[in-house]
Amino acid sequence: MPEDHDKDVYPEPPRQTPVVDKQTVLPNPALILSKLFYYSVDVPVTTFRGIIEGIQGNKKSHYYHQKFRRVPELTQCQEGDYLCYYEAEMQWRRDYKVDQEIVKVVQERLRACQQREGPSYRQNCNKELKQFDEVSKAFQSRYGDLGAYASARKCLMKQKERMMAEAQKA
Amino acid sequence: MVGMSVLRTAASFAARLNPLKRTCRSSNLLSRTVARSEQVVVRHGSHGKRMFVIKPTDFYDRRFLYLLRNYILLTGIPVAVLVTFVNVFVGESELAEIPEDYEPEHWEYYKHPITRWIARTFYDSPVKDYEKMMALIQIETEKAEMRHKQLEVRRHMREKGDGPWFQIQTLDKNLIDHSPKSSPDN
Repeated sequence: MPEDHDKDVYPEPPRQTPVVDKQTVLPNPALILSKLFYYSVDVPVTTFRGIIEGIQGNKKSHYYHQKFRRVPELTQCQEGDYLCYYEAEMQWRRDYKVDQEIVKVVQERLRACQQREGPSYRQNCNKELKQFDEVSKAFQSRYGDLGAYASARKCLMKQKERMMAEAQKA
Repeated sequence: MVGMSVLRTAASFAARLNPLKRTCRSSNLLSRTVARSEQVVVRHGSHGKRMFVIKPTDFYDRRFLYLLRNYILLTGIPVAVLVTFVNVFVGESELAEIPEDYEPEHWEYYKHPITRWIARTFYDSPVKDYEKMMALIQIETEKAEMRHKQLEVRRHMREKGDGPWFQIQTLDKNLIDHSPKSSPDN
Protein backbone atom coordinates (compact mmCIF):
# COMPACT_ATOMS: atom_id res chain seq x y z
CA MET A 1 0.00 0.00 0.00
CA PRO A 2 1.37 3.47 -0.73
CA GLU A 3 1.80 5.65 2.27
CA ASP A 4 -0.85 8.18 1.35
CA HIS A 5 -3.76 5.78 1.08
CA ASP A 6 -7.13 6.82 2.43
CA LYS A 7 -7.14 5.80 6.07
CA ASP A 8 -10.94 5.76 6.28
CA VAL A 9 -11.41 3.42 3.40
CA TYR A 10 -8.70 0.94 4.27
CA PRO A 11 -8.67 1.23 8.05
CA GLU A 12 -5.96 -0.55 9.94
CA PRO A 13 -7.21 -2.96 12.56
CA PRO A 14 -6.43 -2.11 16.20
CA ARG A 15 -3.04 -3.37 17.23
CA GLN A 16 -3.28 -6.64 19.08
CA THR A 17 0.38 -7.21 19.90
CA PRO A 18 0.34 -9.42 22.97
CA VAL A 19 2.69 -8.96 25.89
CA VAL A 20 5.55 -11.43 25.48
CA ASP A 21 5.23 -13.99 28.25
CA LYS A 22 7.68 -16.74 27.41
CA GLN A 23 7.19 -19.78 29.54
CA THR A 24 9.46 -22.20 27.68
CA VAL A 25 13.15 -22.30 27.00
CA LEU A 26 12.57 -23.36 23.38
CA PRO A 27 13.03 -20.65 20.76
CA ASN A 28 10.03 -19.21 18.99
CA PRO A 29 10.04 -20.44 15.38
CA ALA A 30 7.82 -17.64 14.10
CA LEU A 31 10.28 -15.09 15.43
CA ILE A 32 13.20 -16.96 13.93
CA LEU A 33 11.53 -17.17 10.53
CA SER A 34 10.53 -13.54 10.52
CA LYS A 35 14.04 -12.47 11.45
CA LEU A 36 15.44 -14.76 8.77
CA PHE A 37 13.14 -13.26 6.16
CA TYR A 38 14.03 -9.79 7.31
CA TYR A 39 17.76 -10.25 7.08
CA SER A 40 17.85 -12.33 3.92
CA VAL A 41 15.26 -10.50 1.82
CA ASP A 42 14.13 -7.21 3.30
CA VAL A 43 17.47 -5.64 4.21
CA PRO A 44 19.25 -6.37 0.89
CA VAL A 45 16.28 -5.15 -1.14
CA THR A 46 15.96 -1.94 0.87
CA THR A 47 19.68 -1.18 0.69
CA PHE A 48 19.67 -1.83 -3.05
CA ARG A 49 16.76 0.56 -3.48
CA GLY A 50 18.56 3.14 -1.36
CA ILE A 51 21.70 2.86 -3.49
CA ILE A 52 19.75 3.25 -6.72
CA GLU A 53 17.89 6.27 -5.40
CA GLY A 54 21.17 7.77 -4.28
CA ILE A 55 22.55 7.37 -7.78
CA GLN A 56 19.50 8.92 -9.37
CA GLY A 57 19.71 12.13 -7.42
CA ASN A 58 16.88 14.52 -6.71
CA LYS A 59 16.10 15.85 -10.17
CA LYS A 60 12.86 13.95 -10.60
CA SER A 61 10.61 14.33 -13.61
CA HIS A 62 6.84 14.22 -13.17
CA TYR A 63 3.98 12.62 -14.97
CA TYR A 64 0.36 13.72 -14.80
CA HIS A 65 -3.08 12.27 -15.21
CA GLN A 66 -4.81 13.74 -18.24
CA LYS A 67 -8.07 15.57 -17.69
CA PHE A 68 -10.60 15.51 -20.52
CA ARG A 69 -13.33 18.04 -21.18
CA ARG A 70 -16.93 16.87 -21.33
CA VAL A 71 -18.48 16.96 -24.80
CA PRO A 72 -22.14 16.49 -25.82
CA GLU A 73 -23.28 12.89 -25.54
CA LEU A 74 -24.80 10.68 -28.20
CA THR A 75 -28.34 11.70 -27.24
CA GLN A 76 -27.50 15.37 -27.73
CA CYS A 77 -26.10 14.96 -31.24
CA GLN A 78 -27.98 15.88 -34.38
CA GLU A 79 -28.69 13.06 -36.79
CA GLY A 80 -25.97 12.78 -39.40
CA ASP A 81 -23.48 14.87 -37.43
CA TYR A 82 -20.66 12.33 -37.61
CA LEU A 83 -18.16 14.56 -35.83
CA CYS A 84 -20.46 14.79 -32.83
CA TYR A 85 -20.90 11.01 -33.00
CA TYR A 86 -17.14 10.49 -32.93
CA GLU A 87 -16.57 12.77 -29.95
CA ALA A 88 -19.45 11.15 -28.06
CA GLU A 89 -18.09 7.70 -28.85
CA MET A 90 -14.62 8.60 -27.56
CA GLN A 91 -16.11 10.07 -24.40
CA TRP A 92 -18.22 6.95 -23.88
CA ARG A 93 -15.13 4.75 -24.24
CA ARG A 94 -13.24 6.78 -21.63
CA ASP A 95 -16.22 6.55 -19.30
CA TYR A 96 -16.39 2.77 -19.86
CA LYS A 97 -12.73 2.42 -18.81
CA VAL A 98 -13.32 4.62 -15.77
CA ASP A 99 -16.31 2.52 -14.75
CA GLN A 100 -14.29 -0.67 -15.07
CA GLU A 101 -11.66 0.80 -12.77
CA ILE A 102 -14.34 1.89 -10.30
CA VAL A 103 -15.64 -1.68 -10.11
CA LYS A 104 -12.08 -2.93 -9.56
CA VAL A 105 -11.52 -0.44 -6.72
CA VAL A 106 -14.74 -1.46 -4.99
CA GLN A 107 -13.76 -5.13 -5.35
CA GLU A 108 -10.37 -4.34 -3.85
CA ARG A 109 -12.02 -2.66 -0.86
CA LEU A 110 -14.21 -5.69 -0.27
CA ARG A 111 -11.24 -7.99 -0.51
CA ALA A 112 -9.23 -5.88 1.95
CA CYS A 113 -12.17 -5.85 4.34
CA GLN A 114 -12.50 -9.62 4.17
CA GLN A 115 -8.78 -10.04 4.78
CA ARG A 116 -8.94 -7.72 7.77
CA GLU A 117 -11.99 -9.19 9.47
CA GLY A 118 -11.14 -12.81 8.92
CA PRO A 119 -13.93 -15.36 9.50
CA SER A 120 -16.47 -12.80 10.67
CA TYR A 121 -16.42 -10.72 7.50
CA ARG A 122 -20.03 -11.36 6.59
CA GLN A 123 -21.34 -9.29 9.46
CA ASN A 124 -18.54 -6.77 9.85
CA CYS A 125 -18.14 -5.62 6.26
CA ASN A 126 -21.76 -4.75 5.56
CA LYS A 127 -21.04 -1.38 4.01
CA GLU A 128 -18.48 -2.75 1.58
CA LEU A 129 -20.69 -5.68 0.68
CA LYS A 130 -23.66 -3.45 -0.06
CA GLN A 131 -21.54 -1.03 -2.06
CA PHE A 132 -20.05 -3.83 -4.12
CA ASP A 133 -23.48 -5.30 -4.71
CA GLU A 134 -24.90 -1.99 -5.95
CA VAL A 135 -21.93 -1.13 -8.10
CA SER A 136 -21.71 -4.51 -9.79
CA LYS A 137 -25.47 -4.61 -10.44
CA ALA A 138 -25.34 -1.13 -11.96
CA PHE A 139 -22.35 -2.03 -14.12
CA GLN A 140 -24.04 -5.22 -15.29
CA SER A 141 -27.23 -3.42 -16.21
CA ARG A 142 -25.47 -0.66 -18.10
CA TYR A 143 -22.48 -2.34 -19.75
CA GLY A 144 -23.32 -5.97 -19.13
CA ASP A 145 -23.52 -8.05 -22.30
CA LEU A 146 -22.32 -5.51 -24.81
CA GLY A 147 -19.38 -7.71 -25.79
CA ALA A 148 -15.97 -6.90 -27.20
CA TYR A 149 -17.23 -4.54 -29.94
CA ALA A 150 -19.18 -2.40 -27.51
CA SER A 151 -19.97 1.10 -28.65
CA ALA A 152 -21.95 4.08 -27.48
CA ARG A 153 -24.79 3.27 -29.87
CA LYS A 154 -25.13 -0.29 -28.59
CA CYS A 155 -25.16 0.96 -25.01
CA LEU A 156 -27.86 3.47 -25.92
CA MET A 157 -29.93 0.75 -27.56
CA LYS A 158 -29.52 -1.41 -24.47
CA GLN A 159 -30.74 1.48 -22.35
CA LYS A 160 -33.72 1.88 -24.65
CA GLU A 161 -34.58 -1.82 -24.26
CA ARG A 162 -34.27 -1.50 -20.50
CA MET A 163 -36.60 1.48 -20.42
CA MET A 164 -39.09 -0.29 -22.66
CA ALA A 165 -39.03 -3.35 -20.41
CA GLU A 166 -39.60 -1.17 -17.38
CA ALA A 167 -42.46 0.67 -19.10
CA GLN A 168 -44.05 -2.65 -20.02
CA LYS A 169 -43.77 -3.95 -16.50
CA ALA A 170 -45.41 -0.84 -15.11
CA MET B 1 31.76 -70.47 -46.33
CA VAL B 2 33.15 -73.09 -48.55
CA GLY B 3 35.53 -70.49 -49.82
CA MET B 4 36.58 -69.73 -46.27
CA SER B 5 37.47 -73.33 -45.57
CA VAL B 6 39.41 -73.49 -48.85
CA LEU B 7 41.31 -70.40 -47.87
CA ARG B 8 41.99 -71.77 -44.43
CA THR B 9 43.34 -75.03 -45.76
CA ALA B 10 45.40 -73.10 -48.27
CA ALA B 11 46.84 -70.88 -45.54
CA SER B 12 47.73 -73.80 -43.31
CA PHE B 13 49.25 -75.61 -46.30
CA ALA B 14 51.28 -72.50 -47.18
CA ALA B 15 52.44 -72.16 -43.60
CA ARG B 16 53.56 -75.77 -43.56
CA LEU B 17 55.30 -75.42 -46.89
CA ASN B 18 57.48 -72.50 -45.87
CA PRO B 19 57.61 -72.21 -42.10
CA LEU B 20 60.43 -69.66 -42.21
CA LYS B 21 58.62 -67.17 -44.37
CA ARG B 22 55.64 -66.53 -42.19
CA THR B 23 53.54 -63.63 -43.40
CA CYS B 24 51.32 -63.79 -40.37
CA ARG B 25 52.56 -64.93 -37.00
CA SER B 26 49.24 -65.51 -35.43
CA SER B 27 47.91 -68.95 -35.97
CA ASN B 28 44.35 -68.00 -35.40
CA LEU B 29 43.94 -65.54 -38.24
CA LEU B 30 41.97 -67.85 -40.46
CA SER B 31 41.08 -70.49 -37.98
CA ARG B 32 38.14 -68.91 -36.11
CA THR B 33 39.66 -69.54 -32.72
CA VAL B 34 39.99 -66.99 -29.93
CA ALA B 35 43.38 -66.57 -28.42
CA ARG B 36 43.34 -67.03 -24.71
CA SER B 37 45.27 -64.28 -23.05
CA GLU B 38 46.05 -63.28 -19.50
CA GLN B 39 44.38 -59.88 -19.77
CA VAL B 40 41.44 -59.29 -17.47
CA VAL B 41 39.25 -56.25 -16.65
CA VAL B 42 41.18 -54.00 -14.27
CA ARG B 43 39.71 -51.23 -12.12
CA HIS B 44 41.77 -48.11 -12.83
CA GLY B 45 42.11 -45.20 -10.42
CA SER B 46 41.52 -42.83 -13.34
CA HIS B 47 38.44 -42.30 -15.55
CA GLY B 48 38.95 -45.62 -17.21
CA LYS B 49 39.77 -46.49 -20.74
CA ARG B 50 38.73 -43.93 -23.32
CA MET B 51 35.90 -45.31 -25.39
CA PHE B 52 34.73 -44.27 -28.82
CA VAL B 53 31.00 -44.05 -28.14
CA ILE B 54 28.94 -44.54 -31.26
CA LYS B 55 25.83 -42.34 -31.29
CA PRO B 56 23.87 -40.43 -33.96
CA THR B 57 25.17 -37.03 -34.93
CA ASP B 58 24.34 -34.06 -32.72
CA PHE B 59 26.36 -31.68 -34.86
CA TYR B 60 23.34 -30.01 -36.41
CA ASP B 61 21.48 -29.67 -33.11
CA ARG B 62 24.45 -28.19 -31.32
CA ARG B 63 25.17 -25.88 -34.24
CA PHE B 64 21.57 -24.67 -34.23
CA LEU B 65 21.56 -23.97 -30.50
CA TYR B 66 24.92 -22.29 -30.72
CA LEU B 67 23.76 -19.99 -33.52
CA LEU B 68 20.45 -19.33 -31.77
CA ARG B 69 22.14 -18.30 -28.57
CA ASN B 70 24.64 -16.09 -30.37
CA TYR B 71 22.12 -14.27 -32.49
CA ILE B 72 19.71 -13.72 -29.62
CA LEU B 73 22.42 -12.36 -27.39
CA LEU B 74 23.79 -10.17 -30.16
CA THR B 75 20.93 -7.70 -29.69
CA GLY B 76 19.65 -9.05 -26.38
CA ILE B 77 22.66 -8.03 -24.34
CA PRO B 78 22.84 -4.42 -25.59
CA VAL B 79 19.10 -3.99 -25.04
CA ALA B 80 19.30 -5.44 -21.54
CA VAL B 81 22.28 -3.22 -20.68
CA LEU B 82 20.51 -0.15 -22.06
CA VAL B 83 17.31 -0.81 -20.14
CA THR B 84 19.27 -1.46 -16.93
CA PHE B 85 21.21 1.77 -17.28
CA VAL B 86 18.06 3.76 -17.99
CA ASN B 87 16.30 2.27 -14.97
CA VAL B 88 19.26 2.83 -12.66
CA PHE B 89 20.51 6.23 -13.78
CA VAL B 90 17.43 7.99 -15.12
CA GLY B 91 14.62 6.39 -13.17
CA GLU B 92 10.85 6.57 -13.46
CA SER B 93 8.83 9.72 -13.04
CA GLU B 94 6.66 10.58 -10.07
CA LEU B 95 2.96 11.34 -10.15
CA ALA B 96 2.14 14.98 -9.52
CA GLU B 97 -0.87 17.25 -9.73
CA ILE B 98 -1.06 19.41 -12.84
CA PRO B 99 0.09 22.88 -11.79
CA GLU B 100 -2.12 25.87 -12.49
CA ASP B 101 -1.96 27.40 -15.98
CA TYR B 102 0.34 24.66 -17.19
CA GLU B 103 -0.45 22.47 -20.17
CA PRO B 104 1.73 19.34 -19.95
CA GLU B 105 3.28 18.12 -23.18
CA HIS B 106 1.81 14.89 -24.49
CA TRP B 107 4.81 12.82 -23.39
CA GLU B 108 4.54 14.01 -19.82
CA TYR B 109 1.57 11.72 -19.31
CA TYR B 110 3.73 8.59 -19.22
CA LYS B 111 5.82 7.14 -16.40
CA HIS B 112 8.78 5.22 -17.79
CA PRO B 113 11.56 7.30 -19.40
CA ILE B 114 11.81 5.09 -22.48
CA THR B 115 8.03 5.36 -23.09
CA ARG B 116 8.33 9.11 -22.69
CA TRP B 117 11.17 9.23 -25.19
CA ILE B 118 9.24 7.16 -27.73
CA ALA B 119 6.17 9.36 -27.30
CA ARG B 120 8.28 12.47 -27.65
CA THR B 121 10.37 11.40 -30.65
CA PHE B 122 8.18 9.17 -32.80
CA TYR B 123 4.51 9.47 -31.94
CA ASP B 124 2.14 12.34 -32.62
CA SER B 125 0.28 13.64 -29.63
CA PRO B 126 -3.12 11.99 -29.02
CA VAL B 127 -4.76 15.38 -29.51
CA LYS B 128 -3.25 15.56 -32.99
CA ASP B 129 -4.42 12.02 -33.77
CA TYR B 130 -7.91 12.93 -32.60
CA GLU B 131 -7.92 15.99 -34.83
CA LYS B 132 -6.65 13.94 -37.78
CA MET B 133 -9.49 11.49 -37.33
CA MET B 134 -11.98 14.36 -37.08
CA ALA B 135 -10.59 15.82 -40.31
CA LEU B 136 -11.06 12.49 -42.10
CA ILE B 137 -14.61 12.22 -40.79
CA GLN B 138 -15.32 15.78 -41.98
CA ILE B 139 -14.02 14.98 -45.47
CA GLU B 140 -16.11 11.83 -45.64
CA THR B 141 -19.21 13.68 -44.43
CA GLU B 142 -18.79 16.30 -47.11
CA LYS B 143 -18.33 13.63 -49.76
CA ALA B 144 -21.45 11.81 -48.64
CA GLU B 145 -23.41 15.06 -48.65
CA MET B 146 -22.22 15.94 -52.15
CA ARG B 147 -23.17 12.53 -53.48
CA HIS B 148 -26.59 12.68 -51.90
CA LYS B 149 -27.19 16.15 -53.35
CA GLN B 150 -26.12 15.02 -56.79
CA LEU B 151 -28.64 12.18 -56.73
CA GLU B 152 -31.42 14.57 -55.67
CA VAL B 153 -30.55 17.02 -58.41
CA ARG B 154 -30.54 14.23 -60.99
CA ARG B 155 -33.99 13.18 -59.91
CA HIS B 156 -35.34 16.73 -60.12
CA MET B 157 -33.81 17.45 -63.48
CA ARG B 158 -35.08 14.23 -64.96
CA GLU B 159 -38.59 14.87 -63.68
CA LYS B 160 -39.00 18.52 -64.39
CA GLY B 161 -36.73 18.81 -67.40
CA ASP B 162 -36.02 22.51 -66.91
CA GLY B 163 -32.41 22.15 -65.99
CA PRO B 164 -29.25 21.77 -68.02
CA TRP B 165 -29.04 17.98 -67.52
CA PHE B 166 -30.97 15.40 -69.53
CA GLN B 167 -31.35 17.71 -72.52
CA ILE B 168 -31.18 15.97 -75.93
CA GLN B 169 -29.94 18.30 -78.66
CA THR B 170 -32.16 18.45 -81.78
CA LEU B 171 -31.57 20.17 -85.11
CA ASP B 172 -32.24 23.83 -85.64
CA LYS B 173 -35.68 24.52 -87.18
CA ASN B 174 -34.21 26.92 -89.75
CA LEU B 175 -32.10 24.21 -91.33
CA ILE B 176 -35.07 22.17 -92.46
CA ASP B 177 -35.59 22.40 -96.18
CA HIS B 178 -39.32 22.76 -96.70
CA SER B 179 -39.08 23.01 -100.51
CA PRO B 180 -40.08 19.37 -101.29
CA LYS B 181 -43.13 19.81 -99.12
CA SER B 182 -44.14 23.28 -100.37
CA SER B 183 -46.27 22.00 -103.27
CA PRO B 184 -48.52 18.99 -102.79
CA ASP B 185 -48.21 17.18 -106.06
CA ASN B 186 -44.53 17.51 -106.80
